[in-house]
Amino acid sequence: MSATSLYVDRGTWIHRLDARSTLAFVLAIFVSGYIFDDPRFAAVPLVVAFVSLIAVGGWPNFKRLSPIVAALFVVGLVVWPLFTGPGGPTVIDLGPLVLSERELLFALGRSERIAVFIVGGLLFVTTTSNEEIVSGMRQLGIPFAFCFAVGTALRLFPTFIDAAGTVKQAQEARGLDLSDGNLIERLRSFVPLLVPVFMTAFRNVNTQSMALEARGFDTRRDRTFYGASSMGGIDWAVTVASLVVIVGVVGLRLAGYGTL
Amino acid sequence: MREIFTMWRDTRMIMLVAVVAAVYAAVLIPFQTFQIIPGITSIRPANVFPVIFGIMFGPAAAWGSAIGNLIGDIFGGTFGPGSVGGFVGNFTFGLIGYKLWGNLTPLSSRVEPDFRENAGVQLVEYAVIAIAASAACAVIIAWVVDLLGLVPFAVLGPTILINNSIAAIVLGPPLLYLTYPRLKEMGLLYPDLLRSEDLSSAGSNLNPIAAWGLVVVPLVWLGVGFLLSTGAGAGLTSVTALGAVGILVLAACAVIVGERLSTIVGRV
Repeated sequence: MSATSLYVDRGTWIHRLDARSTLAFVLAIFVSGYIFDDPRFAAVPLVVAFVSLIAVGGWPNFKRLSPIVAALFVVGLVVWPLFTGPGGPTVIDLGPLVLSERELLFALGRSERIAVFIVGGLLFVTTTSNEEIVSGMRQLGIPFAFCFAVGTALRLFPTFIDAAGTVKQAQEARGLDLSDGNLIERLRSFVPLLVPVFMTAFRNVNTQSMALEARGFDTRRDRTFYGASSMGGIDWAVTVASLVVIVGVVGLRLAGYGTL
Repeated sequence: MREIFTMWRDTRMIMLVAVVAAVYAAVLIPFQTFQIIPGITSIRPANVFPVIFGIMFGPAAAWGSAIGNLIGDIFGGTFGPGSVGGFVGNFTFGLIGYKLWGNLTPLSSRVEPDFRENAGVQLVEYAVIAIAASAACAVIIAWVVDLLGLVPFAVLGPTILINNSIAAIVLGPPLLYLTYPRLKEMGLLYPDLLRSEDLSSAGSNLNPIAAWGLVVVPLVWLGVGFLLSTGAGAGLTSVTALGAVGILVLAACAVIVGERLSTIVGRV
């Protein structure tokens, strides 16, 4: 895992899936997390996503993002009771702070939903490389020019991050202090960083375009991808199982399960 | 509005999309640790890019901002259904700059955005555009995130608006002053790259109304949405309906408004 990628290169069964099947699997987790308000039901996709993430070697990724997950979880718990109606017995009564059972369960369910989405998304990027994401997009029918732009941006941005780091060190060596002053002053101090970074980036647009055209670049013709994969038996099985899960959880919800 | 799609025929516009996306993502990701409200928003100096790139690179900046934000989500670890809102919101963030520059009569400076001539009027015009673009981005993301039941509209909408606006207003004028002449000299402005028949004309009588619509609609959407969202319970349903209407009106205004920079730089 590099500083600019969350992909973990392993040979697990999820890693071996076609990008489209992985997306279907993650989509089933997203829908299951979205469909239920009751935290007891929302906990199921959360556990599935978390266990899958750990199984594919995503613990370092989760650890890296755990402050954000925890912060969002707490924000959800604090904010949602203010945006929903009370119901059921009082669970917490601390003077001005009164929480009914419904408010608490609702907030917990929403926080779990946030966690399901983050952990599910993390599972996808942990098991799918940049190249697989781009070729999967093309195989899903997204136009080649768009896929090319995404692929090029994915290849370029680590270079720009390095350039930003170098410029930052150079400017700090010359006395630039990014942590001093109020918010406006701190933002202003970013100007000496941003100008060199993006002028460096745009200086090469014309040359790169000429190089592409010299090699016969044409967005209107169909192109092939070196790493394009085809859907095998396991891919179809996972896709069908994911669709069954999606239909199943929608059915459960329509039958009245998982509501508050 | 067809330039949004026809730009994909031009190799340099496609490269601009990729570079805008890469620069945006490259500056977004390292600053995700500078949290203002933990988990909700961070100091994002990169928020200046969709506005200034939008003014200079037109549709390439709209697509580039959308893709750059998506890459930021993927590598920042926040990729998920909310990324759809981020994609559309950041697309609009980049779109509004080139749609509005020169179109906000009587406030418009009607000169190139280099802050060398009529600098005071340019500053006001730029600030209005930055706020409109930030508000449009804020309401779309807050609407989708509310729809997904992640964070209420009333919490996220104003937060994104303030965060986007401050970065864009503070950093935009100096960055445009320093970079616009160089990028123009390189021939990278969208009027230099797009074919004149692909540039949408600003000749319609409805143009000024639609242009101000792009300013007013997001701000009204934000205000009404905030009130509905804080109304709790049933109000949440109305935020959904308001968003559906808001995005349709915004899209209609964006279709009607033609760009003016090509006329200002003497391209057409």
